[in-house]
Amino acid sequence: MQGGSSGIGYGLKYQARCISDVKADTDYTSFLTGTLSLKEENEVHLLRLSSGGSELICEGLFSHPNEIWDLASCPFDQRIFSTVFSTGESFGAAIWQIPELYGQLNSPQLERIASLDAHVGKINCVLWWPSGRCDKLISMDEQNIFLWSLDSSKKSAEVLSKDSAGMLHSLSGGAWNPHDVNAVAATGESSVQFWDLRTMKKVNSIERAHVRGVDYNPKREHILVTAEDESGIHVWDLRKAKVPVQELPGHTHWTWAVKCNPEYDGLILSAGTDSAVNLWYASASSTDEKTSERPVESTRQRVNLLLNSYTDYEDSVYGLAWSSREPWVFASLSYDGRVVIESVKPFLPRI
Amino acid sequence: MATEAAPMDEKAKRMRDLLSSFYAPDPSISTSGSSISTSFDNINSTSFDADQYMDLMIKKSNLEVLLQRHVQMAAEIKNLDTDLQMLVYENYNKFISATDTIKRMKSNIFGMEGNMDQLLQKIMSVQSRSDGVNTSLFEKREHIEKLHRTRNLLRKVQFIYDLPARLHKCIKSEAYGDAVRFYTGAMPILKVYGDTSFQDCRRDSEEAIKIIIKNLQTKLFSDSESIQARAEAAVLLKQLDVPVDSLKAKLLEKLEQSLDGLQINPEEARKLAKQNDSSNDAESDDQRPAKIHEDAVRGFSEAMRAYREIFPDSEERLFKLARALTAMHFESMELYIRKRVSTEDFLGIFRIIWEDVVLMDEVLPEAALSDLSAEAAQVTLKQYVARMFSHLQQDISDTLLKFGINQKEAVEGEVLKVVLEASKKAVLQGTTDIFQDFHQLLDENTGIFIKMKELIIGWIQKGFQDFFRSLEAQFLVLSGKTSSSNDTEGGLIEGKSSDKIHAGLILVLAQLSVFIEQKVIPRVTEEIATSFSGGNSQAFENGPAFIPGELCRVFHAASEKLLQHYIDTRTQKVSVLLRKRFKTPNWVKHKEPREVHMFVDMFLHELEEVGKEVKQVLPQGTFRKHKRTDSNGSNTTTSSRSNTLHNDKMTRSNSQRARSQLFETHLAKLFKQKVEIFTKVEFTQESVVTTTVKLCLKSLQEYVRLQTFNRSGFQQIQLDIQFLKAPLKETVEDEAAIDFLLDEVIVAASERCLDVIPLEPPILDKLIQAKLAKSKEHNNNNTVSS
Repeated sequence: MQGGSSGIGYGLKYQARCISDVKADTDYTSFLTGTLSLKEENEVHLLRLSSGGSELICEGLFSHPNEIWDLASCPFDQRIFSTVFSTGESFGAAIWQIPELYGQLNSPQLERIASLDAHVGKINCVLWWPSGRCDKLISMDEQNIFLWSLDSSKKSAEVLSKDSAGMLHSLSGGAWNPHDVNAVAATGESSVQFWDLRTMKKVNSIERAHVRGVDYNPKREHILVTAEDESGIHVWDLRKAKVPVQELPGHTHWTWAVKCNPEYDGLILSAGTDSAVNLWYASASSTDEKTSERPVESTRQRVNLLLNSYTDYEDSVYGLAWSSREPWVFASLSYDGRVVIESVKPFLPRI
Repeated sequence: MATEAAPMDEKAKRMRDLLSSFYAPDPSISTSGSSISTSFDNINSTSFDADQYMDLMIKKSNLEVLLQRHVQMAAEIKNLDTDLQMLVYENYNKFISATDTIKRMKSNIFGMEGNMDQLLQKIMSVQSRSDGVNTSLFEKREHIEKLHRTRNLLRKVQFIYDLPARLHKCIKSEAYGDAVRFYTGAMPILKVYGDTSFQDCRRDSEEAIKIIIKNLQTKLFSDSESIQARAEAAVLLKQLDVPVDSLKAKLLEKLEQSLDGLQINPEEARKLAKQNDSSNDAESDDQRPAKIHEDAVRGFSEAMRAYREIFPDSEERLFKLARALTAMHFESMELYIRKRVSTEDFLGIFRIIWEDVVLMDEVLPEAALSDLSAEAAQVTLKQYVARMFSHLQQDISDTLLKFGINQKEAVEGEVLKVVLEASKKAVLQGTTDIFQDFHQLLDENTGIFIKMKELIIGWIQKGFQDFFRSLEAQFLVLSGKTSSSNDTEGGLIEGKSSDKIHAGLILVLAQLSVFIEQKVIPRVTEEIATSFSGGNSQAFENGPAFIPGELCRVFHAASEKLLQHYIDTRTQKVSVLLRKRFKTPNWVKHKEPREVHMFVDMFLHELEEVGKEVKQVLPQGTFRKHKRTDSNGSNTTTSSRSNTLHNDKMTRSNSQRARSQLFETHLAKLFKQKVEIFTKVEFTQESVVTTTVKLCLKSLQEYVRLQTFNRSGFQQIQLDIQFLKAPLKETVEDEAAIDFLLDEVIVAASERCLDVIPLEPPILDKLIQAKLAKSKEHNNNNTVSS
């Protein structure tokens, strides 16, 4: 199902929403993705980019009991990952381990290490400790946020602390601050909220409605990028969180996900329901100059900020992940189950 | 005589020769015959040796020659003897007479000494006599001199005693000049003896002088006196040692105070200008303030002229005053134009000021008033031009905001249309007016304006450029689209107020931007090209100040942005509606559908509003009819595809088939031409409505994909969508896309459904009919009640 563009395609059997970079795999550029099918046997695919970078190989195929709404790979163990799944009527979250010799087994089964079963509502996501070997996890449902301690050898997870965001906020997703491991951002109905994990209390918020996706800039402290339904992408400086530092027009329809490049500062990837992935360049340093310029010129600049738009998709794109091993490579996943790997190398000289 | 002199000479020469030969000790000196004869022959030389000569003669000559020689010599000797004799006789007489004379002299000298003594004696006696007379007259002469002095003194005293009377007389006859002369003449005496002998006199005269000073001062201050007289008075006062400087200061102060009177009051300025204009055509009886003002200024300049002559050293001060007046004029002008001023008024006042300046400049050419005022005028004029633009901008935004678009009724009625038309008119009329005003400015022939024409043109061009730029910025602000250029505070405020901004206004702004881009800017460009071209090219090295191409681009971008913003705000509203719809119920435990859900009504209502707004503001698409048939053509193919798919789906309730169905969907998508959902928005009613509907349906699809439905939930969605189909198709131009999107929603719902069993078509139909009947009834009720 390869398209006409430079991207490398891979088709999943069913519809899918989530894809994750396998950060702990230092030998290969790998991604994990899970299908979203209400009625069929769902699968988790472990994909590996061939060494030449020209092919996407299915390294492992595992069946998953339920449709997968969220999937995150463990940053320190490439065989461990978390999923958020739904039976249709209820939600659950679990930590899984890929069996060791999965290549030799006929139909390898995923090993469930732990269930994060303290939730009652609709779980949105599971976040891993952002870097290094640490057994802390965060899971969020619409009202609550839980901090877990995972013991993979004992195959158990314990709730360390929890906080409720309140009925009204209905959280929808979040991100763990890579610069300050005690700070977590969560997107809600009308705002982006920040928790301090030490006290497990809400400390701050950005009033902004309909935020879909949020990501910290891993190269620059205090910079947060949000994706919103109608109003595009905003770059925030958390020290001055009242007005966005920068505004990017986003997508024709909703902007669903946004990801900052782990290596190149200011390189932002966004996925939208208009079946497109846009590559932006929004360096915070250049923002200061731009704001001082006349509005007309800055709009022209803003147009130029769009480095490329990948439009070779048939359906809305929900899944998006940069590779941490090869930071110029990203994987995107459209709802029709198509994984596309693209390289942004041709655009790097322009930043 | 010459003939006579020659023999005389001969004779005298011979005589002299003889004498010299007689006296001269050296015979070689004698010239006679020496040249002829040799030393031997020369008888006259001293070395002549007679014997030798004889020998030679005898040896050389014969007898005859010797005889001859002898005869000759004898004759010569005889001659010589007589000559000598003669000589002795002649001189002897002279000796004798000389001796006689000496003898006589000796006898004459003897009586002389006695006479001389006599003379001396006589002179001595004369001298002694004259001394005697002198001493005898001396005393009398002294006395006479003393008497003369006393008489002079007495005359002076008399004068001083008369001084007061004289002064009074002078006062009476106003001959102050004489009076001052008298007084200053008497001053030294009065100074010395004033305290003793002439006390009364001094007092009286001082009193008189005081009167004189007073009179002079009044004369100096009185404006009725001629300048000459006043100048004289000043000079006299100066002579009287009256401190003139203080007087001068007082006078100038008075002049300064009169400045206040000359100030053009901003309130009165309008009247002034008006009157000034009307004075041209009708000389009405009531004195106009302009006339008064002119007179006042004339008076002021006259006074200045006078003071200048009176106090030549006060020029600096006068310059300052004149400058102050000019500066004041321009200041009040600035104040005046802070309010709205018509160009006529502005020019009227300008003219007045200019006249004033010219008047004063005549008096004080050195004050460089015209330069000063030219500078000030430049500043003022520049401000005025800038203000005209800002007024225009204010007008436009006022027109935009005047009508309560914020009210809900905006959608009903024609408010948006009215606003659009009004603002269009405001822009057009405003630019026309502003051009007229500028024409007036350029036609004005007051001195300064001619010089500044180039500059004005430059300002106008730049002004338009800036005006349109800021207008665009203001449009964006009005639309509530926070632009990144705003500072933190501003952005915050706007962000809050953006909720209140009615979407209709944004639409109006968008259409207005198009209007400006297509109509106004070309017009302005044309106008500038015809009447305001040129300009000060030096001031704008970066090319021309007015760049219509850039402005068009700016407004084009702005119009697109604003239109997009309008659609965004509209879809956002629908999005909120849909979000509520999908968040609230538990779709997995949904009950059987009983009726079409009310969100459909609200959705349609929103669309209806959009349609109404759009109809008021945007033009109809010209290709509507054509497009419709076109889309109808494609519609049949796509809908047949989706229909078959749809029907297929309905029959396959079991899960095995769902997988192949998904493939089928993919395959269908591959082979079918991709339906362009997100096309570029055009400035037509249909395009905007279509885009809005498309975006809303896409949102609907996305919301559906996030849920999981049970059979009833799915059926509810099916019912709602089915109901939407007809009204949406009516409103939208691209039916194919709408069909596709509606199908997509149902597909999405079926994908997210645990148990896909669609409603039977009869039930579906029945429920839709019930809904239609209900809404009809509702409408009827509404019309009845209203």
